[in-house]
Amino acid sequence: MATTTPRTKTFKSPAKTPTTNNIYRKSYQSPSLTPQTPQTITPLRRSARHVSRRIDLGNDPIDVPENESKEEMNLIRKRERAPPRKQSVDDVSESLKTPTKKTKVDSEVSFSPVSPNRREKRKNKSEEVKKTKTKKRVYYNRVEFDETGFEIGDDVYVKRREDANSDEEDPEIEDCKICFKSGGSDVMLECDDCLGGFHLKCLKPPLKDVPEGDWICQFCEVNKSGGGQSQTLVVPKPPEGKKLARTMREKLLSSDLWAARIEKLWKEVGDGVYWIRVRWYMIPEETVSGRQPHNLKRELYLTNDFADIEMDCVLRHCFVKCPKEFSKASNDGDDVFLCEYEYDVHWHSFKRLAELVDGDSDSDQEWNGRKEEEEIDDSDEEVEVEEDEESVVRGDSKGKRGLTSVKGGANSRKGRFFGLEKVGAKQIPEHVRCHKQTELEKAKATLLLATRPKSLPCRNREMEEITAFIKGSISDDQCLGRCMYIHGVPGTGKTISVLSVMKNLKAEVEAGNVNPYCFVEINGLKLASPENIYSVIYEALSGHRVGWKKALHSLNERFAEGKKIGKEDDKPCILLIDELDLLVTRNQSVLYNILDWPTKPNSKLIVLGIANTMDLPEKLLPRISSRMGIQRLCFGPYNHTQLQEIISTRLNGIDAFEKTAIEFASRKVAAISGDARRALEICRRAAEVADHRLKTNKTAKSQLVIMGDVEAAIQEMFQAPHIQVMKSVSKLSKIFLTAMVHELYKTGMAETTFDRVATTVSSICLTNGEAFPGWDILLKIGCDLGECRIILCEPGEKHRLQKLQLNFPSDDVAFALKENKDLPWLANYL
Amino acid sequence: MPAIAGPSSSPQKHVVGSRLEVTGGLRSAEVNTCRKRKLRSDSAAEVSSSTPVNSISTPMKWKSPRRCAVSIPKTSDEEIKEDSNGNLASPVISVVKNLDVCLDVESKWNPRDEEQMKAVKEALHVSKAPSTVVCREDEQRRVFEFVKGCMEQNKAGSLYICGCPGTGKSLSMEKVRQQAEDWAKQTGVPCLETVSVNCTSLTKSTDIFSKILGKNESGREANGSSPPLQQLQSLFSQKQQQSSSKMMLIIADEMDYLITRDRGVLHELFMLTTLPFSRCILIGVANAIDLADRFLPKLKSLNCKPLVVTFRAYSKEQILRILQERLVALPYVAFQSNALEICARKVSAASGDMRKALCVCRNALEILEIEARGSIDQEPQGPVPECQMVKMDHMLAALSKTFKSPVVDTIQSLPQHQQIIVCSAAKAFRGSKKDRTIAELNKLYLEICKSSTITPAGITEFTNMCTVLNDQGILKLSQARDDKLRRVSLRVDEADITFALKEIRFFRNCLL
Repeated sequence: MATTTPRTKTFKSPAKTPTTNNIYRKSYQSPSLTPQTPQTITPLRRSARHVSRRIDLGNDPIDVPENESKEEMNLIRKRERAPPRKQSVDDVSESLKTPTKKTKVDSEVSFSPVSPNRREKRKNKSEEVKKTKTKKRVYYNRVEFDETGFEIGDDVYVKRREDANSDEEDPEIEDCKICFKSGGSDVMLECDDCLGGFHLKCLKPPLKDVPEGDWICQFCEVNKSGGGQSQTLVVPKPPEGKKLARTMREKLLSSDLWAARIEKLWKEVGDGVYWIRVRWYMIPEETVSGRQPHNLKRELYLTNDFADIEMDCVLRHCFVKCPKEFSKASNDGDDVFLCEYEYDVHWHSFKRLAELVDGDSDSDQEWNGRKEEEEIDDSDEEVEVEEDEESVVRGDSKGKRGLTSVKGGANSRKGRFFGLEKVGAKQIPEHVRCHKQTELEKAKATLLLATRPKSLPCRNREMEEITAFIKGSISDDQCLGRCMYIHGVPGTGKTISVLSVMKNLKAEVEAGNVNPYCFVEINGLKLASPENIYSVIYEALSGHRVGWKKALHSLNERFAEGKKIGKEDDKPCILLIDELDLLVTRNQSVLYNILDWPTKPNSKLIVLGIANTMDLPEKLLPRISSRMGIQRLCFGPYNHTQLQEIISTRLNGIDAFEKTAIEFASRKVAAISGDARRALEICRRAAEVADHRLKTNKTAKSQLVIMGDVEAAIQEMFQAPHIQVMKSVSKLSKIFLTAMVHELYKTGMAETTFDRVATTVSSICLTNGEAFPGWDILLKIGCDLGECRIILCEPGEKHRLQKLQLNFPSDDVAFALKENKDLPWLANYL
Repeated sequence: MPAIAGPSSSPQKHVVGSRLEVTGGLRSAEVNTCRKRKLRSDSAAEVSSSTPVNSISTPMKWKSPRRCAVSIPKTSDEEIKEDSNGNLASPVISVVKNLDVCLDVESKWNPRDEEQMKAVKEALHVSKAPSTVVCREDEQRRVFEFVKGCMEQNKAGSLYICGCPGTGKSLSMEKVRQQAEDWAKQTGVPCLETVSVNCTSLTKSTDIFSKILGKNESGREANGSSPPLQQLQSLFSQKQQQSSSKMMLIIADEMDYLITRDRGVLHELFMLTTLPFSRCILIGVANAIDLADRFLPKLKSLNCKPLVVTFRAYSKEQILRILQERLVALPYVAFQSNALEICARKVSAASGDMRKALCVCRNALEILEIEARGSIDQEPQGPVPECQMVKMDHMLAALSKTFKSPVVDTIQSLPQHQQIIVCSAAKAFRGSKKDRTIAELNKLYLEICKSSTITPAGITEFTNMCTVLNDQGILKLSQARDDKLRRVSLRVDEADITFALKEIRFFRNCLL
């Protein structure tokens, strides 16, 4: 999905819209001489078939051949205006000569979709519809509006707010993020992450050419990797007095603009106002799920939301492309977007677009040719959709339903007016924009294990060692193969350290300090069988998927004999194997092969193995440990100061935790395991507990996570659940347990028989005035407790002489049963 | 011979002595010990036979006439005498000259020069095979004689080579193969086909037959109907016409990977050599010394038990010689001789694994590299000549990284609860008892916690911690159906634990 080449910013944008400024100029001020041809007048309620046929007849002036439309897609508008088209423009101007009141209302509606009294407006509009029924419309395939041609199927920016005019004098040329000068002759490079533009010469180090593959600017790089490097790059501030201009793309992505696809173009014959029916695009933030990590920056969703809007709202073209084209469109300027999925605004579901977007690039001829059938098909679909939709918004759709029935099935689409006002009505989901994340929520988000930290404190030494090892190996021309074994207890940052080292190395490769290499990362747990590692490696090197036997053969040729596979021929190869111990087979041949290759000349293979066990090499066959070499690196468990530092770096800038709370959590974890994952989980849980506490108890003065919350989280995590279970078992079970503890205490043995426990139960019951339940029930209770594994029963038949044993220390049982309201006398026996 | 230079004396002593006499002299140590000198002359002779030119730059030039001339070509002997006749006259002069040369050499060698560093690293890398395999001449000769004998008599034979890892088995076999091929060409024996297979790279153990056949098959029509083994058997059991009677040399590396449950493959492989018209020479390579006896008892009765050639682990002299051999090709000296010697001694004492020795040397070199880079940062000009070469301390650092036992450090860096577990385990196994269940250990742990009013961790947490300790090689957990019934035993010495924990006051009482 990712673009293969970073796009270069070109400075076509001004050329694209030579009349950006007068796009808002009401164009009906220029009168025209050409009178309206009577043929073009169509009654409003014509079947779609009719309309399209009429378009096909050629009365419509536009007849765009394929290559021309392509050209248009590429934004090169150099064409001389053909005479027939002129006619259409003139149509516009002529018909707009006398604006009626009605259109003004309409335009208001469409201009301010988010205005609070939209309900009223909608009513207004639906009335409008009824009225306009009598009106006549002329449909076009292409309209020249303000010297820009708009066609069906084009994607356009649509004004969203009335006040969007305020920052109207858009410089359409994007400024360089470093020098804050636009344009020049220098090529601009776009960051794949923040979409900022950079002059090649402004970069550090300056680049000569546009690099291959993804390119991420230095700021994003630092933000992402953060890591062991102490360097911090400050994003340069714009020079004083210079307004930071936003391009339309930025506005769209911050939802100050809309993007839409033109579905239909028509002119109201009565007042001559040009209308378009648009299908909205949505930015990921506006969907119900918000922006997901997999969303690209330039990703949009095609919705099934339609609206009729006035042509005035249209700003200019943008280009929404399917992923395939998007990756190809490397030089198309700033207004290129990606759309891969369709979003259902009613059901909040996503669907992959199959051919829809491809349609855009098709010739108009084809589009028209297909149109007829499509229209019919579509309308059928639409009817269904509408019914679905009505069942959802049952309440306020009465008017619409009436309309539908009036219209009849064939072209029901036209009469529908859920559109602009709908989108306007749709609140942008709370959690995305309006709702400001509280500190606690931010803290919870950053403490998630899945969140990659910006920097890795406390592992500098290890990371330096890994970097030195890899660099030392690949910097030579010969690239002598080597192995390194990294071990340490879980949650000590082994994998993430290696990965961040690799990331830093990648940056150095791009800067040209280090030779390029190929990096293969394998997790032993993800392999179906240890042998599969061969095919995984082979696939990573050559791109072909083969069986492991063939892969082993080829890899042997590659590493042992120096033959080349794929295009990665003479690059050194770095192989990272996580959970190395899972590759140990019965005769350990997999490990042997992998560790034997680096000892071969010309192998250029560097193996990094990660596992928990410290003495894995010693457990292996001597021939393997001999080949594994002596490069070891140990990741020790974190101590409490380190854990504290890790948590506080993660929470950097978020004021959600009391310092003592963090310290408490880290000390507790450090005393038991030194596992950073644990510490983070405890803190996250503590934040949740605090969130709950603060929500239920509004009077709390401090909004911070306190020691008590951490304590509660630790209790949840470290305390075994058996106490809870014992507290909640039935009354008889409690008596049974008590009797058992008592019996064990009396005899001083580790185990007892059911027979004796039952006797004790009966005597206890007798003294405390409880009814003795009977042996059968008692036996059943014993079995139940045995199944909960609170007590351990001797396997085999359930009989009276069965041996029983407590699974937990008797202190735990005593602790669980002491505070008991129903049976206060139990404490006497414990 | 000076008295201090007994074979048992530590190399450090040599260093001290030599520094007292001639400070900074690189080769001065050798004057003190004639044992060393002899060693050096040994290897130097090798060198000079292979690279007689430009030998001034190599330190091996300096040798006494008393070298052992067993395996040295005569030419080199004369040559060296000529070269060094001035030095032979008086040892003092030789030392002085020696020093000059060393200084000269030192000025050439510069660890900051990446080219040089790279060359040294390459010379020390495992994958770079030296042109001649020193210290394995005898074994090589035996194997070669065997092959030659077989080829001369045109009969089949089998040979089994065993030895510890890193003793040069595969390397020697490669050399023997080349020798045999050359010899076959020279003498005009019908040319020899060689198949060398690493058995680990086979996907299936029976694949070895198809691999052998694959080489053999070339030019003959392939009848794919019968399995490769039968084809081979029929091939060797019928008399062939003269044209196709080539000898075949099969080298099976890591042969023990061919051991299947019924040992069929290995057996059949050796049986191939017993067939009446067999012309294959089989050389198997593996680590186990008694592979043939253990797994192929039948062969003995058939009287085709393979000959066994054992590759012994390298002694310290051999390791030193090999290291010097590798380094001597370079025009500069990167290692002090006593540094190399301590490396050789340590490695030979531990395992005699050449790969380890090479790795340690490389590590030492890297330590030096980092040091040199650091000194650049401190003072850009004025290189300090002392830190230029890999010296004892570099080598010791590298060695300690490899061979030191990390137990004490590991125990000291454990989390506290895990330390308590280790402590309780030490107490539990103080008596004669060798192992206990986790439940018993938990009880002890709870006792300690209770006595010092620490909240103990739950049983599940306890089991987790035991698993972590198992991973770190401190405890050993055996497999059991029930978690609580798993047996625990201690894998480190109790004294280590006591030593590691005695720093902490808390544990001092516990361990008493």
